[in-house]
Amino acid sequence: MAAQDLPIVGDSFKLGFRFQRYWDMPMANAFFACEFGAGMFLVSLLVNYVPGMIAGLVIGVGLKSFFHLTHMGVPLKSWRALLRPDRSWISRGLLGIVFFVCFGAAHIANQWYGLSTAWNLPGFVGDLVRFGAGAAAVVCMTYQGLAMSHSSAISLWSTGLMPISSFVYSAASGVMLVLATAWNSFLAERPDTRQMLITAGLFLCFAVVAVIVSLLHASRHGSPGARKSFELLTQTLYAKWFYSLIWVVGIFVPVLVLWLTPTHAAIIIATAAILLGHYAYRVLIFKAGVFEPIMSFRP
Amino acid sequence: MARYGMVFDMKRCIGCNACVVGCKQENSLPDGVFFTKTLSEEYGVYPSVKRVYIPTLCNHCEDAPCEKVCPSGATYTRDDGIVMVDSDKCIGCGSCAVACPYDQRTELKADMFKNGLFQEGELTPFEEQGYARFTPGMVTKCDFCSGRVDAGLDPACVVTCPTDARIFGDLDDPNSKPSRLIQERGGRQPLPEKNTRPKVYYID
Repeated sequence: MAAQDLPIVGDSFKLGFRFQRYWDMPMANAFFACEFGAGMFLVSLLVNYVPGMIAGLVIGVGLKSFFHLTHMGVPLKSWRALLRPDRSWISRGLLGIVFFVCFGAAHIANQWYGLSTAWNLPGFVGDLVRFGAGAAAVVCMTYQGLAMSHSSAISLWSTGLMPISSFVYSAASGVMLVLATAWNSFLAERPDTRQMLITAGLFLCFAVVAVIVSLLHASRHGSPGARKSFELLTQTLYAKWFYSLIWVVGIFVPVLVLWLTPTHAAIIIATAAILLGHYAYRVLIFKAGVFEPIMSFRP
Repeated sequence: MARYGMVFDMKRCIGCNACVVGCKQENSLPDGVFFTKTLSEEYGVYPSVKRVYIPTLCNHCEDAPCEKVCPSGATYTRDDGIVMVDSDKCIGCGSCAVACPYDQRTELKADMFKNGLFQEGELTPFEEQGYARFTPGMVTKCDFCSGRVDAGLDPACVVTCPTDARIFGDLDDPNSKPSRLIQERGGRQPLPEKNTRPKVYYID
Protein backbone atom coordinates (compact mmCIF):
# COMPACT_ATOMS: atom_id res chain seq x y z
CA MET A 1 0.00 0.00 0.00
CA ALA A 2 1.43 3.38 -0.96
CA ALA A 3 1.68 6.01 1.79
CA GLN A 4 -0.78 8.23 -0.10
CA ASP A 5 -3.52 5.58 0.21
CA LEU A 6 -3.33 5.41 4.00
CA PRO A 7 -6.23 6.96 5.91
CA ILE A 8 -6.25 9.77 8.46
CA VAL A 9 -6.06 7.90 11.76
CA GLY A 10 -6.35 10.52 14.49
CA ASP A 11 -4.84 9.41 17.78
CA SER A 12 -5.45 5.71 17.15
CA PHE A 13 -2.75 3.02 17.13
CA LYS A 14 -2.96 2.69 13.35
CA LEU A 15 -0.49 3.69 10.67
CA GLY A 16 -1.65 6.70 8.67
CA PHE A 17 -1.84 10.46 8.40
CA ARG A 18 -2.44 12.47 11.55
CA PHE A 19 -3.86 15.97 11.78
CA GLN A 20 -1.71 18.54 13.48
CA ARG A 21 -3.84 20.05 16.23
CA TYR A 22 -1.10 21.68 18.31
CA TRP A 23 -1.54 25.01 16.57
CA ASP A 24 -5.26 25.54 16.37
CA MET A 25 -7.79 28.36 16.65
CA PRO A 26 -6.01 30.62 19.21
CA MET A 27 -2.84 30.43 17.14
CA ALA A 28 -4.79 31.10 13.90
CA ASN A 29 -6.42 34.11 15.59
CA ALA A 30 -3.03 35.38 16.76
CA PHE A 31 -1.43 35.01 13.33
CA PHE A 32 -4.42 36.65 11.64
CA ALA A 33 -4.50 39.59 14.08
CA CYS A 34 -0.78 40.22 13.73
CA GLU A 35 -0.90 40.00 9.94
CA PHE A 36 -3.80 42.35 9.31
CA GLY A 37 -2.74 44.73 12.11
CA ALA A 38 0.82 45.00 10.84
CA GLY A 39 -0.46 45.27 7.27
CA MET A 40 -2.75 48.15 8.22
CA PHE A 41 0.14 49.83 10.01
CA LEU A 42 2.49 49.49 7.03
CA VAL A 43 -0.03 50.81 4.50
CA SER A 44 -0.95 53.69 6.84
CA LEU A 45 2.75 54.42 7.28
CA LEU A 46 3.26 54.55 3.52
CA VAL A 47 0.39 57.03 3.03
CA ASN A 48 1.05 58.79 6.36
CA TYR A 49 -2.38 58.05 7.86
CA VAL A 50 -1.82 58.30 11.63
CA PRO A 51 -5.17 56.85 12.92
CA GLY A 52 -4.53 53.79 10.74
CA MET A 53 -1.06 53.41 12.25
CA ILE A 54 -2.51 53.57 15.77
CA ALA A 55 -5.23 51.03 14.96
CA GLY A 56 -2.74 48.73 13.21
CA LEU A 57 -0.32 48.85 16.13
CA VAL A 58 -3.05 48.20 18.72
CA ILE A 59 -4.55 45.30 16.72
CA GLY A 60 -1.23 43.83 15.63
CA VAL A 61 0.30 43.86 19.08
CA GLY A 62 -2.64 43.84 21.50
CA LEU A 63 -4.92 41.27 19.88
CA LYS A 64 -2.04 39.06 18.81
CA SER A 65 -0.54 39.02 22.31
CA PHE A 66 -3.93 38.20 23.81
CA PHE A 67 -4.51 35.25 21.51
CA HIS A 68 -0.93 34.05 21.88
CA LEU A 69 -1.24 34.04 25.65
CA THR A 70 -4.46 32.05 25.43
CA HIS A 71 -2.58 29.49 23.32
CA MET A 72 0.52 29.24 25.51
CA GLY A 73 0.66 26.27 27.85
CA VAL A 74 2.68 28.19 30.42
CA PRO A 75 1.82 31.86 29.73
CA LEU A 76 3.77 33.25 32.69
CA LYS A 77 6.98 32.01 31.11
CA SER A 78 6.22 33.45 27.68
CA TRP A 79 9.06 35.95 27.97
CA ARG A 80 11.42 33.00 27.49
CA ALA A 81 10.35 32.92 23.83
CA LEU A 82 12.77 35.81 23.27
CA LEU A 83 15.81 33.73 24.16
CA ARG A 84 16.70 31.89 20.97
CA PRO A 85 16.62 34.29 17.98
CA ASP A 86 19.65 32.45 16.62
CA ARG A 87 17.52 29.44 15.67
CA SER A 88 13.79 30.00 16.16
CA TRP A 89 11.44 32.11 14.05
CA ILE A 90 9.14 32.40 17.07
CA SER A 91 11.95 34.22 18.91
CA ARG A 92 12.79 36.36 15.89
CA GLY A 93 9.13 37.24 15.42
CA LEU A 94 8.76 38.19 19.06
CA LEU A 95 11.80 40.45 18.76
CA GLY A 96 10.19 41.92 15.63
CA ILE A 97 7.07 42.68 17.67
CA VAL A 98 9.14 44.37 20.37
CA PHE A 99 10.78 46.54 17.69
CA PHE A 100 7.36 47.10 16.12
CA VAL A 101 6.00 48.44 19.42
CA CYS A 102 9.03 50.66 20.08
CA PHE A 103 9.54 52.10 16.59
CA GLY A 104 5.83 52.17 15.77
CA ALA A 105 4.93 54.07 18.94
CA ALA A 106 7.91 56.42 18.47
CA HIS A 107 6.89 57.17 14.89
CA ILE A 108 3.25 57.77 15.83
CA ALA A 109 4.34 60.09 18.67
CA ASN A 110 6.63 61.91 16.27
CA GLN A 111 3.83 62.35 13.72
CA TRP A 112 1.25 63.33 16.32
CA TYR A 113 3.30 65.72 18.43
CA GLY A 114 6.10 66.66 16.02
CA LEU A 115 8.73 65.53 18.53
CA SER A 116 11.75 65.68 16.22
CA THR A 117 11.00 69.36 15.44
CA ALA A 118 10.21 70.24 19.04
CA TRP A 119 13.39 68.57 20.29
CA ASN A 120 15.50 69.93 17.39
CA LEU A 121 16.59 66.44 16.36
CA PRO A 122 18.45 65.97 13.06
CA GLY A 123 16.12 65.05 10.19
CA PHE A 124 17.58 61.58 9.73
CA VAL A 125 16.41 60.50 13.22
CA GLY A 126 12.75 60.78 12.20
CA ASP A 127 13.49 58.95 8.96
CA LEU A 128 15.34 56.24 10.86
CA VAL A 129 12.40 55.71 13.24
CA ARG A 130 10.01 55.61 10.27
CA PHE A 131 12.19 53.08 8.47
CA GLY A 132 12.53 50.99 11.65
CA ALA A 133 8.75 50.99 12.15
CA GLY A 134 8.18 49.92 8.53
CA ALA A 135 10.83 47.20 8.68
CA ALA A 136 9.43 45.83 11.97
CA ALA A 137 5.93 45.84 10.47
CA VAL A 138 7.20 43.80 7.50
CA VAL A 139 8.76 41.29 9.93
CA CYS A 140 5.41 41.03 11.78
CA MET A 141 3.59 40.55 8.47
CA THR A 142 5.80 37.69 7.34
CA TYR A 143 7.38 35.87 10.28
CA GLN A 144 4.34 33.67 10.86
CA GLY A 145 4.82 32.19 7.42
CA LEU A 146 8.53 31.77 8.08
CA ALA A 147 7.83 30.00 11.38
CA MET A 148 5.50 27.60 9.55
CA SER A 149 7.77 26.96 6.57
CA HIS A 150 10.86 26.44 8.74
CA SER A 151 10.03 22.83 9.55
CA SER A 152 9.65 19.93 7.18
CA ALA A 153 7.21 18.02 9.41
CA ILE A 154 4.04 19.34 7.79
CA SER A 155 4.57 19.25 4.07
CA LEU A 156 1.80 21.73 3.24
CA TRP A 157 3.60 24.38 5.26
CA SER A 158 7.12 23.47 4.25
CA THR A 159 7.35 25.87 1.34
CA GLY A 160 8.74 29.32 0.70
CA LEU A 161 5.25 30.34 -0.37
CA MET A 162 4.13 30.51 3.29
CA PRO A 163 5.85 33.83 4.15
CA ILE A 164 4.84 35.25 0.76
CA SER A 165 1.20 34.33 1.39
CA SER A 166 1.43 35.94 4.84
CA PHE A 167 2.81 39.12 3.30
CA VAL A 168 0.36 39.46 0.41
CA TYR A 169 -2.70 38.66 2.53
CA SER A 170 -1.45 41.04 5.21
CA ALA A 171 -0.84 43.83 2.70
CA ALA A 172 -4.20 43.24 0.98
CA SER A 173 -6.06 43.37 4.30
CA GLY A 174 -4.10 46.49 5.26
CA VAL A 175 -4.93 48.31 2.02
CA MET A 176 -8.63 47.48 2.33
CA LEU A 177 -8.77 48.54 5.98
CA VAL A 178 -7.15 51.88 5.21
CA LEU A 179 -9.58 52.38 2.31
CA ALA A 180 -12.56 51.52 4.51
CA THR A 181 -11.58 53.66 7.49
CA ALA A 182 -10.13 56.72 5.71
CA TRP A 183 -12.50 56.91 2.71
CA ASN A 184 -14.51 59.93 3.88
CA SER A 185 -11.77 61.63 5.88
CA PHE A 186 -8.11 61.30 5.05
CA LEU A 187 -8.55 59.86 1.55
CA ALA A 188 -11.38 62.27 0.61
CA GLU A 189 -8.77 65.05 0.43
CA ARG A 190 -6.31 62.86 -1.47
CA PRO A 191 -8.07 61.33 -4.51
CA ASP A 192 -4.75 60.27 -6.05
CA THR A 193 -3.82 58.27 -2.94
CA ARG A 194 -7.31 56.74 -2.88
CA GLN A 195 -7.02 55.65 -6.50
CA MET A 196 -3.54 54.33 -5.88
CA LEU A 197 -4.81 52.22 -2.95
CA ILE A 198 -7.71 50.87 -5.03
CA THR A 199 -5.22 49.81 -7.73
CA ALA A 200 -2.90 48.35 -5.09
CA GLY A 201 -5.80 46.42 -3.53
CA LEU A 202 -6.72 44.97 -6.91
CA PHE A 203 -3.11 44.05 -7.60
CA LEU A 204 -2.76 42.39 -4.18
CA CYS A 205 -5.93 40.35 -4.73
CA PHE A 206 -4.37 38.97 -7.90
CA ALA A 207 -1.14 38.34 -5.97
CA VAL A 208 -3.16 36.34 -3.42
CA VAL A 209 -4.65 34.31 -6.27
CA ALA A 210 -1.18 33.63 -7.69
CA VAL A 211 0.20 32.57 -4.31
CA ILE A 212 -2.73 30.26 -3.46
CA VAL A 213 -2.65 28.64 -6.91
CA SER A 214 1.12 28.13 -6.53
CA LEU A 215 0.61 26.67 -3.06
CA LEU A 216 -2.02 24.26 -4.36
CA HIS A 217 0.23 23.30 -7.28
CA ALA A 218 3.18 22.67 -4.94
CA SER A 219 1.08 20.56 -2.58
CA ARG A 220 -0.63 18.65 -5.44
CA HIS A 221 2.78 17.57 -6.72
CA GLY A 222 4.53 17.31 -3.35
CA SER A 223 5.06 14.54 -0.80
CA PRO A 224 2.20 12.24 0.33
CA GLY A 225 1.43 14.58 3.24
CA ALA A 226 1.19 17.60 0.96
CA ARG A 227 -1.08 15.67 -1.42
CA LYS A 228 -3.31 14.65 1.49
CA SER A 229 -3.57 18.31 2.53
CA PHE A 230 -4.39 19.23 -1.07
CA GLU A 231 -7.22 16.67 -1.05
CA LEU A 232 -8.54 17.98 2.26
CA LEU A 233 -8.59 21.54 0.96
CA THR A 234 -9.95 21.00 -2.51
CA GLN A 235 -11.90 17.74 -2.52
CA THR A 236 -12.92 16.45 0.88
CA LEU A 237 -13.24 17.78 4.43
CA TYR A 238 -12.52 21.49 3.99
CA ALA A 239 -13.37 21.92 0.31
CA LYS A 240 -16.69 23.77 0.84
CA TRP A 241 -15.05 26.27 3.20
CA PHE A 242 -12.01 26.62 0.97
CA TYR A 243 -14.01 27.42 -2.17
CA SER A 244 -16.75 29.52 -0.57
CA LEU A 245 -14.75 31.57 1.95
CA ILE A 246 -11.31 31.89 0.40
CA TRP A 247 -12.19 32.03 -3.30
CA VAL A 248 -15.71 33.44 -3.58
CA VAL A 249 -15.93 35.69 -0.51
CA GLY A 250 -12.24 36.42 0.04
CA ILE A 251 -11.15 37.06 -3.55
CA PHE A 252 -14.03 37.27 -6.01
CA VAL A 253 -16.08 39.82 -4.00
CA PRO A 254 -13.20 42.27 -3.32
CA VAL A 255 -11.98 42.08 -6.93
CA LEU A 256 -15.49 42.76 -8.20
CA VAL A 257 -15.94 45.74 -5.87
CA LEU A 258 -12.51 47.26 -6.52
CA TRP A 259 -12.92 46.83 -10.27
CA LEU A 260 -16.52 47.89 -10.76
CA THR A 261 -18.02 49.84 -7.84
CA PRO A 262 -15.44 51.36 -5.52
CA THR A 263 -17.93 53.33 -3.35
CA HIS A 264 -17.50 53.62 0.41
CA ALA A 265 -20.30 51.16 1.24
CA ALA A 266 -18.98 48.66 -1.29
CA ILE A 267 -15.43 49.08 0.00
CA ILE A 268 -16.62 48.28 3.55
CA ILE A 269 -18.25 45.09 2.24
CA ALA A 270 -15.10 44.23 0.28
CA THR A 271 -12.94 44.82 3.37
CA ALA A 272 -15.11 42.51 5.46
CA ALA A 273 -14.94 39.96 2.63
CA ILE A 274 -11.16 40.03 2.30
CA LEU A 275 -10.71 39.82 6.06
CA LEU A 276 -13.02 36.81 6.14
CA GLY A 277 -11.04 35.20 3.32
CA HIS A 278 -7.76 35.96 5.08
CA TYR A 279 -9.06 34.47 8.34
CA ALA A 280 -10.41 31.40 6.56
CA TYR A 281 -7.02 30.93 4.88
CA ARG A 282 -5.24 31.06 8.24
CA VAL A 283 -7.63 28.58 9.87
CA LEU A 284 -7.78 26.15 6.95
CA ILE A 285 -4.01 26.06 6.44
CA PHE A 286 -3.69 25.03 10.09
CA LYS A 287 -6.55 22.54 9.89
CA ALA A 288 -5.34 20.90 6.67
CA GLY A 289 -1.79 20.36 7.94
CA VAL A 290 -1.07 16.66 8.42
CA PHE A 291 1.81 14.58 9.69
CA GLU A 292 2.88 11.88 7.27
CA PRO A 293 2.74 8.16 8.11
CA ILE A 294 5.88 7.33 10.06
CA MET A 295 6.84 4.67 7.51
CA SER A 296 7.59 5.93 4.06
CA PHE A 297 8.98 2.47 3.18
CA ARG A 298 7.01 -0.77 2.92
CA PRO A 299 7.53 -2.90 6.04
CA MET B 1 30.64 9.20 25.40
CA ALA B 2 27.95 6.83 24.23
CA ARG B 3 25.41 7.80 21.56
CA TYR B 4 22.23 6.02 22.51
CA GLY B 5 19.74 4.68 20.03
CA MET B 6 17.17 1.95 19.61
CA VAL B 7 16.44 -0.77 17.11
CA PHE B 8 12.98 -2.23 16.52
CA ASP B 9 12.91 -5.78 15.25
CA MET B 10 9.62 -5.88 13.39
CA LYS B 11 9.84 -9.63 12.95
CA ARG B 12 9.70 -10.03 16.71
CA CYS B 13 7.08 -7.43 17.63
CA ILE B 14 3.75 -9.12 18.36
CA GLY B 15 1.77 -5.94 19.04
CA CYS B 16 1.05 -6.78 22.69
CA ASN B 17 1.59 -3.15 23.74
CA ALA B 18 3.35 -4.21 26.95
CA CYS B 19 5.94 -1.53 26.09
CA VAL B 20 3.18 1.09 26.08
CA VAL B 21 1.95 0.03 29.51
CA GLY B 22 5.49 -0.20 30.88
CA CYS B 23 6.24 3.30 29.61
CA LYS B 24 3.07 4.78 31.08
CA GLN B 25 3.80 3.18 34.42
CA GLU B 26 7.47 4.19 34.52
CA ASN B 27 6.72 7.79 33.57
CA SER B 28 3.37 8.17 35.40
CA LEU B 29 1.73 9.41 32.23
CA PRO B 30 -1.79 10.81 32.54
CA ASP B 31 -4.74 9.46 30.60
CA GLY B 32 -4.37 9.98 26.84
CA VAL B 33 -0.62 10.62 26.92
CA PHE B 34 1.74 8.12 25.32
CA PHE B 35 5.50 8.35 24.87
CA THR B 36 5.45 5.20 22.79
CA LYS B 37 2.83 3.52 20.65
CA THR B 38 2.76 0.30 18.69
CA LEU B 39 0.96 1.03 15.45
CA SER B 40 -0.54 -1.70 13.33
CA GLU B 41 -1.10 -1.96 9.62
CA GLU B 42 -2.58 -4.65 7.41
CA TYR B 43 -1.58 -4.98 3.80
CA GLY B 44 -1.95 -7.35 0.93
CA VAL B 45 -4.97 -8.98 -0.72
CA TYR B 46 -6.71 -12.13 0.55
CA PRO B 47 -5.33 -14.77 0.91
CA SER B 48 -1.92 -13.09 1.06
CA VAL B 49 -2.64 -10.68 3.88
CA LYS B 50 -0.12 -9.59 6.46
CA ARG B 51 -0.31 -7.50 9.59
CA VAL B 52 2.75 -5.64 10.80
CA TYR B 53 3.32 -3.88 14.09
CA ILE B 54 5.34 -0.70 14.08
CA PRO B 55 6.60 0.49 17.46
CA THR B 56 7.14 4.25 17.62
CA LEU B 57 8.66 6.68 20.06
CA CYS B 58 10.75 9.85 19.96
CA ASN B 59 13.56 9.20 17.50
CA HIS B 60 16.07 11.37 19.37
CA CYS B 61 17.20 12.78 16.02
CA GLU B 62 20.80 13.86 15.48
CA ASP B 63 19.47 16.92 13.68
CA ALA B 64 16.39 17.36 15.86
CA PRO B 65 13.94 19.84 14.30
CA CYS B 66 12.18 20.22 17.66
CA GLU B 67 15.39 21.54 19.19
CA LYS B 68 16.00 23.93 16.29
CA VAL B 69 12.61 25.63 16.56
CA CYS B 70 12.34 25.78 20.37
CA PRO B 71 12.26 29.52 21.20
CA SER B 72 12.99 29.12 24.90
CA GLY B 73 15.89 26.66 24.83
CA ALA B 74 13.80 24.06 26.69
CA THR B 75 14.61 21.31 24.20
CA TYR B 76 18.24 20.26 24.23
CA THR B 77 20.38 17.27 23.37
CA ARG B 78 22.50 15.63 26.03
CA ASP B 79 26.06 14.56 25.28
CA ASP B 80 24.85 10.98 24.96
CA GLY B 81 22.41 12.00 22.20
CA ILE B 82 19.19 11.84 24.23
CA VAL B 83 16.90 14.75 23.32
CA MET B 84 15.36 16.21 26.48
CA VAL B 85 12.74 18.79 27.44
CA ASP B 86 13.49 21.02 30.42
CA SER B 87 10.13 21.44 32.15
CA ASP B 88 11.30 24.63 33.89
CA LYS B 89 12.04 26.32 30.57
CA CYS B 90 9.17 25.04 28.39
CA ILE B 91 6.56 27.70 27.64
CA GLY B 92 4.11 25.36 25.90
CA CYS B 93 4.12 27.22 22.57
CA GLY B 94 3.84 23.94 20.65
CA SER B 95 6.37 24.89 17.97
CA CYS B 96 8.35 21.70 18.70
CA ALA B 97 5.15 19.65 18.36
CA VAL B 98 4.44 20.97 14.86
CA ALA B 99 8.13 20.62 13.92
CA CYS B 100 8.42 16.92 14.82
CA PRO B 101 7.73 14.91 11.63
CA TYR B 102 6.96 11.85 13.76
CA ASP B 103 4.24 13.50 15.87
CA GLN B 104 5.94 12.32 19.03
CA ARG B 105 5.29 15.29 21.26
CA THR B 106 2.34 15.81 23.58
CA GLU B 107 0.95 18.95 25.14
CA LEU B 108 0.06 18.34 28.77
CA LYS B 109 -3.25 20.12 29.28
CA ALA B 110 -4.08 21.16 32.82
CA ASP B 111 -7.27 19.07 32.90
CA MET B 112 -5.28 15.88 32.22
CA PHE B 113 -4.05 15.96 35.81
CA LYS B 114 -7.43 16.42 37.48
CA ASN B 115 -8.75 12.93 36.95
CA GLY B 116 -6.94 9.76 37.86
CA LEU B 117 -7.05 6.67 35.73
CA PHE B 118 -9.34 4.85 38.15
CA GLN B 119 -11.65 7.43 39.66
CA GLU B 120 -12.94 10.77 38.41
CA GLY B 121 -11.63 13.69 40.44
CA GLU B 122 -9.34 11.53 42.58
CA LEU B 123 -5.70 10.64 42.20
CA THR B 124 -4.00 7.59 43.63
CA PRO B 125 -0.83 8.22 45.68
CA PHE B 126 1.14 6.82 42.71
CA GLU B 127 -0.48 9.34 40.35
CA GLU B 128 -0.02 12.24 42.78
CA GLN B 129 3.65 11.47 43.13
CA GLY B 130 4.13 10.87 39.40
CA TYR B 131 2.18 13.88 38.10
CA ALA B 132 4.26 16.20 40.29
CA ARG B 133 7.16 15.95 37.83
CA PHE B 134 5.09 17.55 35.04
CA THR B 135 4.22 21.22 34.60
CA PRO B 136 0.68 21.54 33.20
CA GLY B 137 0.83 23.27 29.83
CA MET B 138 4.30 22.06 28.92
CA VAL B 139 5.12 19.85 25.96
CA THR B 140 6.69 16.53 26.76
CA LYS B 141 7.98 13.38 25.08
CA CYS B 142 9.99 10.20 25.54
CA ASP B 143 13.46 10.72 27.01
CA PHE B 144 14.64 7.11 26.62
CA CYS B 145 13.97 6.83 30.40
CA SER B 146 17.06 9.00 30.97
CA GLY B 147 16.95 8.39 34.73
CA ARG B 148 17.16 4.64 34.19
CA VAL B 149 19.87 5.05 31.54
CA ASP B 150 21.93 7.18 33.93
CA ALA B 151 21.62 4.38 36.47
CA GLY B 152 22.92 1.88 33.93
CA LEU B 153 19.50 0.35 33.16
CA ASP B 154 17.63 -0.04 29.88
CA PRO B 155 14.50 2.02 29.18
CA ALA B 156 11.27 0.63 30.64
CA CYS B 157 9.81 -0.28 27.23
CA VAL B 158 12.90 -2.34 26.41
CA VAL B 159 12.81 -4.20 29.70
CA THR B 160 9.06 -4.85 29.41
CA CYS B 161 9.11 -6.20 25.86
CA PRO B 162 8.49 -9.96 26.12
CA THR B 163 9.95 -10.74 22.69
CA ASP B 164 13.10 -8.60 22.75
CA ALA B 165 11.77 -6.59 19.82
CA ARG B 166 13.27 -3.41 21.25
CA ILE B 167 17.04 -3.26 21.47
CA PHE B 168 18.71 -0.30 23.15
CA GLY B 169 22.37 0.59 23.19
CA ASP B 170 25.31 2.66 22.06
CA LEU B 171 25.22 3.29 18.32
CA ASP B 172 28.83 4.51 18.35
CA ASP B 173 30.05 1.16 19.62
CA PRO B 174 30.33 -1.13 16.57
CA ASN B 175 30.10 -4.17 18.83
CA SER B 176 26.91 -3.14 20.62
CA LYS B 177 23.82 -5.21 19.87
CA PRO B 178 21.91 -2.44 18.07
CA SER B 179 24.95 -1.53 15.94
CA ARG B 180 25.43 -5.13 14.91
CA LEU B 181 21.76 -5.57 14.07
CA ILE B 182 21.75 -2.41 11.97
CA GLN B 183 24.81 -3.61 10.05
CA GLU B 184 23.71 -7.21 9.63
CA ARG B 185 20.06 -6.69 8.83
CA GLY B 186 20.05 -3.25 7.23
CA GLY B 187 18.44 -0.89 9.71
CA ARG B 188 16.13 1.68 8.18
CA GLN B 189 15.23 5.01 9.73
CA PRO B 190 11.69 6.42 9.70
CA LEU B 191 11.02 9.20 7.18
CA PRO B 192 14.67 9.54 6.12
CA GLU B 193 13.59 12.13 3.55
CA LYS B 194 13.00 14.60 6.39
CA ASN B 195 16.78 14.70 7.00
CA THR B 196 16.46 14.54 10.77
CA ARG B 197 18.85 11.56 11.14
CA PRO B 198 16.84 9.57 13.69
CA LYS B 199 18.65 7.34 16.18
CA VAL B 200 15.86 4.79 15.95
CA TYR B 201 16.12 2.02 13.34
CA TYR B 202 13.72 -0.60 12.05
CA ILE B 203 14.84 -4.04 10.94
CA ASP B 204 12.70 -6.72 9.35
